[in-house]
Amino acid sequence: MTKLLKLLAAISGAAAATLGVTPAFAAGTAADTNVTNQASVTFSVGGVPQVTPVLSNIDTFKVDRVIKLRVQEADALTKGVSPGETGAWTTYTVTNDSNAPVDIVLSASQQVGGAGAHSNTDNFNMLSPSIFVESGANVGYQPLEDLAPPSGYLDEVAPDAVRTIYVVANVPAGQVTGDVAAVDLTAQAHLGGTVGTQGTAVNATNFPQNVANGANTVENVMSDTAGSATGDAARDGKHSAKDDFTVSAAALTVVKTSRVVWDPVNLTSNPKAIPGARVEYCIAVTNAAGGSPATSVAVSDTLVSTLAPYATFGYWTGATVTSGVCSAGTNNGSAAGQVVSGTIGTVAAGTTSGFYFQATVQ
Amino acid sequence: MRIILALMLLLMPGVAFAANDVVLSSAVFVEKTVADAKGRAKTILEAPKIVTPGDRLVFVLNYQNMGSAPASDFIVTNPLPGAVSYQGTPDEAAQVSVDGGRNWGALADLRIKEADGDVRGARMEDVTHVRWPMRRPIAPGAKGKLSFRGIVR
Repeated sequence: MTKLLKLLAAISGAAAATLGVTPAFAAGTAADTNVTNQASVTFSVGGVPQVTPVLSNIDTFKVDRVIKLRVQEADALTKGVSPGETGAWTTYTVTNDSNAPVDIVLSASQQVGGAGAHSNTDNFNMLSPSIFVESGANVGYQPLEDLAPPSGYLDEVAPDAVRTIYVVANVPAGQVTGDVAAVDLTAQAHLGGTVGTQGTAVNATNFPQNVANGANTVENVMSDTAGSATGDAARDGKHSAKDDFTVSAAALTVVKTSRVVWDPVNLTSNPKAIPGARVEYCIAVTNAAGGSPATSVAVSDTLVSTLAPYATFGYWTGATVTSGVCSAGTNNGSAAGQVVSGTIGTVAAGTTSGFYFQATVQ
Repeated sequence: MRIILALMLLLMPGVAFAANDVVLSSAVFVEKTVADAKGRAKTILEAPKIVTPGDRLVFVLNYQNMGSAPASDFIVTNPLPGAVSYQGTPDEAAQVSVDGGRNWGALADLRIKEADGDVRGARMEDVTHVRWPMRRPIAPGAKGKLSFRGIVR
């Protein structure tokens, strides 16, 4: 090394820092690009300009292939699911930070215990996780549009390209509120270059690192960071990230109250439960806070033989409940013999909805 | 290097100045940071076998006046390779161009006209050419070395 080169080497760190010019490399110069340098010199001899400049040799090297994939959880939120829910999905992005097109093989793996993606702890596994690719037509997983990767891999993903990936799975029926299932999505790079053909997997076995071949050959340099999946180290040709599903089950409680509203003697003034009196029943359905909405909530009540449904009053659903007394709502319930029933519909978490009717004391 | 220079001389039939030959050679090195035996990081220059975007390069130009007469008005010019972003030269007398070699000067004095008509000061990455005008003639047999830095875009 000459004196000048030593000096250059010695000041290189300082130079980079003080110049402060860091080019914005997204993927950078494409792999296999030839970088050629040729200088020229012009001069005069005896005051006479020499017409033809003297050219240096042409110094050439190739830009090597950087292989770097980046998987990210897309929305920084856990996915809320219900017990037994099918087709629950969570979203990831896969970015090709390489300077060459690559083929990408995706795989989803269930985490077993340990920290989830959002300050939570994995304690169950989803059922049959599968991978689908956003088609670009509509945001979010659409079963008819967003299909599995054709032939099992993403073909020829261009440098800087980002793909949105969904992991779709089913929730076991027995899970309870607060259960968490974390899923790792791993993207393994394969060499691109031929449309419709899955290239060689990029890993240290197929492409030993730090083995320089030559200035005019293209080496494959793995540059990914370590990922979340077990065994996903830095610079191994793959990258992974985790997202999770959190169960928030609906938790319903039902409270039935009654009051005498009329009797044949006192009428509405302090009525008593004597034969011929009418009793109003209020059935309050409460969904606990923090869970999922309860849908298609239906209530039915079988009256004892000493009571008869009072059809004139009606059978009211969706009632407001205040201190055990129902009011308002919609008269759309029914009675069949001694069975009184109504459909409340959806009860959101943290709310109460009532069903009420009157019965005559026999 | 001497052998290469001599070979080049032999292989350059187009050189018309039999008595006034000047030779020029270009070489490129890539800077790598490696750990020495004690684990300290040190910077080395090596042949560009593994080069990826973001790598720092050092271009070295060697010139020599092989003729018998002094060479005056001596200017070495190096167009930047397209994939290389200029990062400066230790030689303060060097001039740069940001418009393909039409205008020359210190980087701070050059301007870039953006597509929307705005004019801004030129930056390192705008440099298209670098050149070294020598103030004194190069004596017969005299030689020298020039260098500049770049980053692979």
